[in-house]
Amino acid sequence: MNLKVFRFDPETGVRRYQPFELEASPGLTVLSALFQVQERFDGTLSFRYSCRGAVCGSCAMLINKVPRLACRTQLKSLLAQEPVRLASLTAISGGETWDHPNEIVVEPLPNLPVLKDLVVDMRPFFEKYRAVRPYLRSAVEEHSQTRRSRMDPAVEKELELYTNCILCAACYGACPINVQNPGYLGPAALAKLYRFAIDPRDAEGHGRLRAADNPEGWRGCRFHLNCKTVCPRGVPPNLAIGKSQAILKREAGK
Amino acid sequence: MEPAIHVHDVLVIGGGLAGLRASLELGRSGVNVVILSKVHPLRSHSVAAQGGMNAALANSPQGKDDTPERHAFDTVKGSDFLADQDAVELMCREAPSAVFELERLGTVFSRFDDGSIAQRPFGGAGYPRTCYSADRTGHSLLHTLYEQVVGSGLVIFEEFFVTSLVTENGRCTGCIALDIATGKLHGFSGRAVLIATGGFGRIYERSTNAVINTGDGAALALNAGAPLEDMEFVQFHPTTLFGTNILMTEGARGEGGLLQNNAGERFMTRYAPTAMELAPRDIVSRSIQTELDEGRGFPGGYVQLDLRHLGERKIVERLPGIRQIAIDFAGVDPVESPIPVQPGQHYSMGGVAVDNDGASPIQGLYSAGEAACISVHGANRLGGNSLLEALVFGKRAGAAIGRDIGSIPHPSEGAVLAKLEQEQARLARLQSGKGKESLAVIRSGLGRTMESSFGIFREERAMIEGLAAVLDLQERFSRATIGKSPGGFYFGLVQALELGFMLDIAPVVALGAIERRESRGSHFRKDHPKRNDGDHLKHTLVRADFGNLSLSYKDVRLGLFQVEERRY
Repeated sequence: MNLKVFRFDPETGVRRYQPFELEASPGLTVLSALFQVQERFDGTLSFRYSCRGAVCGSCAMLINKVPRLACRTQLKSLLAQEPVRLASLTAISGGETWDHPNEIVVEPLPNLPVLKDLVVDMRPFFEKYRAVRPYLRSAVEEHSQTRRSRMDPAVEKELELYTNCILCAACYGACPINVQNPGYLGPAALAKLYRFAIDPRDAEGHGRLRAADNPEGWRGCRFHLNCKTVCPRGVPPNLAIGKSQAILKREAGK
Repeated sequence: MEPAIHVHDVLVIGGGLAGLRASLELGRSGVNVVILSKVHPLRSHSVAAQGGMNAALANSPQGKDDTPERHAFDTVKGSDFLADQDAVELMCREAPSAVFELERLGTVFSRFDDGSIAQRPFGGAGYPRTCYSADRTGHSLLHTLYEQVVGSGLVIFEEFFVTSLVTENGRCTGCIALDIATGKLHGFSGRAVLIATGGFGRIYERSTNAVINTGDGAALALNAGAPLEDMEFVQFHPTTLFGTNILMTEGARGEGGLLQNNAGERFMTRYAPTAMELAPRDIVSRSIQTELDEGRGFPGGYVQLDLRHLGERKIVERLPGIRQIAIDFAGVDPVESPIPVQPGQHYSMGGVAVDNDGASPIQGLYSAGEAACISVHGANRLGGNSLLEALVFGKRAGAAIGRDIGSIPHPSEGAVLAKLEQEQARLARLQSGKGKESLAVIRSGLGRTMESSFGIFREERAMIEGLAAVLDLQERFSRATIGKSPGGFYFGLVQALELGFMLDIAPVVALGAIERRESRGSHFRKDHPKRNDGDHLKHTLVRADFGNLSLSYKDVRLGLFQVEERRY
């Protein structure tokens, strides 16, 4: 099969697609295929990696026009499946075509500046993460740190839905609102904000939600659900956004 | 071009659990600390830790009698009595407050029905003692610490790869780092340097470790003249996924998972009739390997980890990540079929020799976490003790540096500049054109050699041949060159430097293993199958003197628990 890989050389500004002929052996992931390209064809190909087990969030990229983790995506299953189409996302569904099922196209994550080949600038993504002040400010005094805290297991279960996020930015790359409005916080940051707002240990709690009560926050979402579709960890940012809107509405009505 | 020299009080190398915990401690005491990490901190390997973190909270109905002393005893026994008992005692005593502290900072731990922090059984432990967040405990802890680091506004040099430490008159005074994004080298001057770079699993072919775990910190310290301790003790995890060697947490057995050979037999009855699947990792790994070697495995070399009897609900609730990994990477749903598993390299018990405050014998050089050897794990680490170690000793090292720093004068920058020039020349030579030696071939040769000569079962002849093969690879590497790359993010260069580090430390593992003529914990010699306390109840120290490795030993700090035979 053919692995068609996006290349970008920041020194010359040249953008191109380079094909590499590989054997799609059983179990071979896109990440392993990229390592093969590095070893056998071109040692200068750039892409991020670390855990190769779908937990570190380094290797999100656009594979057959869908943001996915390269380490958890197998060539064989891509070739066997009909290509997935995401909602309202001309920014990524357009452009380069590929010859399914003989070819796989690998490109950098959309909505973030490309720095080199498949490496994108993650700073805008993490700036939005930081903008929601993603850290617990404990409602408890420092000196009581050895207390045996209890948490309602039901609350823990809801928190887990969101703490599962690995900040890979696949959702950010898949979100049509992020294309239209570069100021939009995006699914991951909004889910993170909700996660702290519902944490009973947080001093501010629901009060946090008001910080994003604007078109750059909760009100920007149009529920295309691409975020939930592409999340490799099953996190539902759409649910967090919907619940936050409902809480704000309820509190405004009081 | 003006060279870039950054001047700070403390340079923390590594953005995993130990590095971030130390940095928070330093930041709180107002010290000017910066973190250098070759990946974004959230991509550090701490994030992959699954099963949990031990602390004698006595929350479980079956664990009401648990105490830090019992935790300490289990840890010392698990270590095959090589751990330093005062350090273990300290770690286990501080364990409950380490859990409560992370809970207070935002970690979402799994809970019992009464809302208390849940605890599960783990290997080698007398009680259910392991606190967890489903099967992504490392992820939960690392994200919490990173959140706090963001909240504290600490400075992080992300994607900066440290190529060398700087020493001057026997003091460590800084480091040189490659900015991966630009390909430019930077000099960093500091009054203290903390190495928190994790382990070196990638010197083995089959490892659960992230691709980035190349022992950089151990190699940096060795090359700066610091001793490495107990490097021959390498942990092989019993259950790694057949094919990719991704970790299948010990928690799977803690929740009741069973190991079976090709006859469907629970073979652990033969090796650890009492503890069974929850014997310590060294014992379970040897048991599996024996089954495989004696023809009772499945074709290709694996046994089965059966979770089916736990039922879908428990699997989904307690082991969701394991299930997903098995489906994604092996096409097996543990709800319906047993998981194919084999032992694989997992953890480095050895590391930079440091005291209970993380200080190495070199002034200004500290280490914590898996990169360090205190030693709290001795010859075999118990599951659930590594996250604990990283948090307890990361904090202690941060506090100790904060105390020591006042008496350490600011270094001159001359040595940093001189080292920067040396490193620039070294990297230029490395990139002077594509040479005949293939780095990929050298790397896979190293992995295969370590696997076959320094694996679960070892013996003198194979080890001596293995060491010779490693030295040959080292020599070939010294002649290897790669081409240049435009525009930064040249991971081919990073991988070449990492391979150099792996080749620096592989002979240290080899030497320690060859000279330790006994079997203890993870180090099992077919030619010396018994533990020999008379000659070998001591820590191995290896130093590099002008490129030559020299070996010495130091006593184990005993005193709390009687050294006895291990039975499970």
